[in-house]
Amino acid sequence: MLRYFFSRLVTTVLIVFGAMLLLFLLTAVVPGDPAVTLLGPQASPELVKRFVSEMGLDQPIHVRLWRFFANVLSGNLGVDVVSGRSVWSLVLNVLPDTLILTFSAILLAVVTGVPLGIYAATHRGSLLDNVLAFVSVAFIAVPSFVIAIFLLLIFSIWLDWLPVLGAGRSGDFWDAARRLILPTLSIAATWIGFIARLVRTSMLEVLNEPYIRTSRAYGLSERMVTYKYALKNACIPTIAVLGLGLGRLLGNAVFVEIVFARPGLGRLIYGAISERNFPVVQGAVLVVVVLFVLINLVVDLSYSALDPRIRRDGAGGSPV
Amino acid sequence: MVHPLVSIRDLKLEASTNRGVAHILRGISLEIGRGRILGIVGESGSGKSSLAQTMLSFLPANVSGVSGEIVFDGVDLLKLRPSEVQSYRGRRIAKIFQDPMTALNPVFTVATHLVDVIRRREPGLPRKEALRQAEAALTSVGIADARLRLEAYPHQLSGGMRQRVMIAMALLVRPDLLIADEPTTALDATVEAQIVDLLKSLRQELSGSIVFISHHLGLVAELCDDLCVMYGGTVVESGLVADVLVRPRHPYTRALLACEIEDDAEGRLVSIPGEVQDPVAPMTGCIFAPRCPHVVEACRVTVPALRPSDSGRAACIRFEEIA
Ligand SMILES: Nc1ncnc2c1ncn2[C@@H]1O[C@H](COP(=O)(O)OP(=O)(O)OP(=O)(O)O)[C@@H](O)[C@H]1O
Ligand SMILES: [Mg+2]
Repeated sequence: MLRYFFSRLVTTVLIVFGAMLLLFLLTAVVPGDPAVTLLGPQASPELVKRFVSEMGLDQPIHVRLWRFFANVLSGNLGVDVVSGRSVWSLVLNVLPDTLILTFSAILLAVVTGVPLGIYAATHRGSLLDNVLAFVSVAFIAVPSFVIAIFLLLIFSIWLDWLPVLGAGRSGDFWDAARRLILPTLSIAATWIGFIARLVRTSMLEVLNEPYIRTSRAYGLSERMVTYKYALKNACIPTIAVLGLGLGRLLGNAVFVEIVFARPGLGRLIYGAISERNFPVVQGAVLVVVVLFVLINLVVDLSYSALDPRIRRDGAGGSPV
Repeated sequence: MVHPLVSIRDLKLEASTNRGVAHILRGISLEIGRGRILGIVGESGSGKSSLAQTMLSFLPANVSGVSGEIVFDGVDLLKLRPSEVQSYRGRRIAKIFQDPMTALNPVFTVATHLVDVIRRREPGLPRKEALRQAEAALTSVGIADARLRLEAYPHQLSGGMRQRVMIAMALLVRPDLLIADEPTTALDATVEAQIVDLLKSLRQELSGSIVFISHHLGLVAELCDDLCVMYGGTVVESGLVADVLVRPRHPYTRALLACEIEDDAEGRLVSIPGEVQDPVAPMTGCIFAPRCPHVVEACRVTVPALRPSDSGRAACIRFEEIA
């Protein structure tokens, strides 16, 4: 287990380094002089010169690359060229909003999707099974931000039940929670059906396995067979597919933040791109990448915690 | 005379396939005596596993008809509701499966498998006590380091070891009827011999009856009291092992025996000439007629009944003539 953990950790670090290299190259090769773009055509040559040397843009590329890595590794993501604030503090400022939105969406999708999937698998051909099959396909095809717009129109503008925009930053928990409902729903909607279908499929497969027949042959109750002996097996492929999809979920969150004008990494990146604020783009995207690989690492590890076959060592020793 | 533990009468099992109705069991009648070991033999496809599954009321998904009766200690299992059948499984009936590689759940330890079987018998038994019983069961099926093995996952055990775990599960149930469906077919020859020895030595502990399904007449001769020979979803011959193997009356039993003897001499598998009966094909006359060396016209006309012979019962109209 420990060896597996370390080998996964090494790959994770390599992925982050690769992403850093890409991000650096991207901003280095993007057309247009960043100094001119940022300061505007009216800026005096002295100002441009000071800016360029402050940003280190006059250094050769390998020095800039080295500096970029050294800065990032020492926790310095650079400085926002517009406001002069550190990128790290900008990111920290909005990170909780994105994390809360993403996790509440995952939570909602899992706590409703998994039971629905189990029900559909154990009641094949029932009304709910058919409705689920239809609805999940319909929802998978619709992007989150479209659902977001519809929810916004219906519940905020037409029915006026829920607040429209923002995250409600007054420290008022209920206000924040109410403002979280629609964005969470718009992300979770596509995922509930998706997870339910995943669980249903792998559950049906597992319920046909010979070892499930063994449990039944020993008279274990149908409840125990389903929720203990089958569910754990069915979770393994579900988590694997879900892990691959989490990147997409983070992407969904970015668009939904824009629709609901919620503060978050998505809005931060979006705003920085339109301003060509490269340090902010670099820093914020890097944080998204790190989040993404961390989530995948957690998924991977929980996968191996569930499936003893991919753990290298453990009790019982080698086959005899 | 004491009633047999199980008496099966005219059991038929049909399933719909895209080629038509498959007659998987075509009217099986047999009895399992109390405390006795019944061997069921027959080529692949003769319906042995289907019979075993039906005895536990596990019917295939495409089943289209079941008829006859399976009277277990006075109760017809086929007439019970699913929840009532479940109360027999794991209490009065237990089963050992053919392929130990897939019969244990890959994400649970040996301990979990055994403890749940123990708790099924005694709900609310403290885990510690259940684990102690589980460890004892593993020891009694010849697993060394039982305590360590309890924590193992199935993939960490060899095939023979897994089959021992399956046998330990069955032991913990102390069933009136243990069905072992080819428990050694998936294992290599030395392990097979060990498992058969184990089953033999456990006879005292398992006070109930055992159904031992096999292709292998040699194993059956070693282990069983009674013998039932199946072909094409029917019973073609039955009787005491000692009688049937010495004086086989049905041509199919003779052919099986001949194969076994030739196998031993030359070390390779010899099979009966001709194709195994197709379950979708209708049965007119004797099921073995198409492959029988002694076939006459009458064989193809009427279905022969199982009738008494000098070694038990045989379903052949000519067994006196060809003896
Ligand atoms: N669900 C089903 N639908 C259609 N045909 C089936 C079904 N189950 C079994 N059969 C057929 O019934 C026959 C008996 O199968 P069964 O598995 O009981 O044989 P067996 O004697 O156990 O063979 P083996 O020695 O290979 O285990 C086979 O021809 C098989 O193809
Ligand atoms: Mg079989």
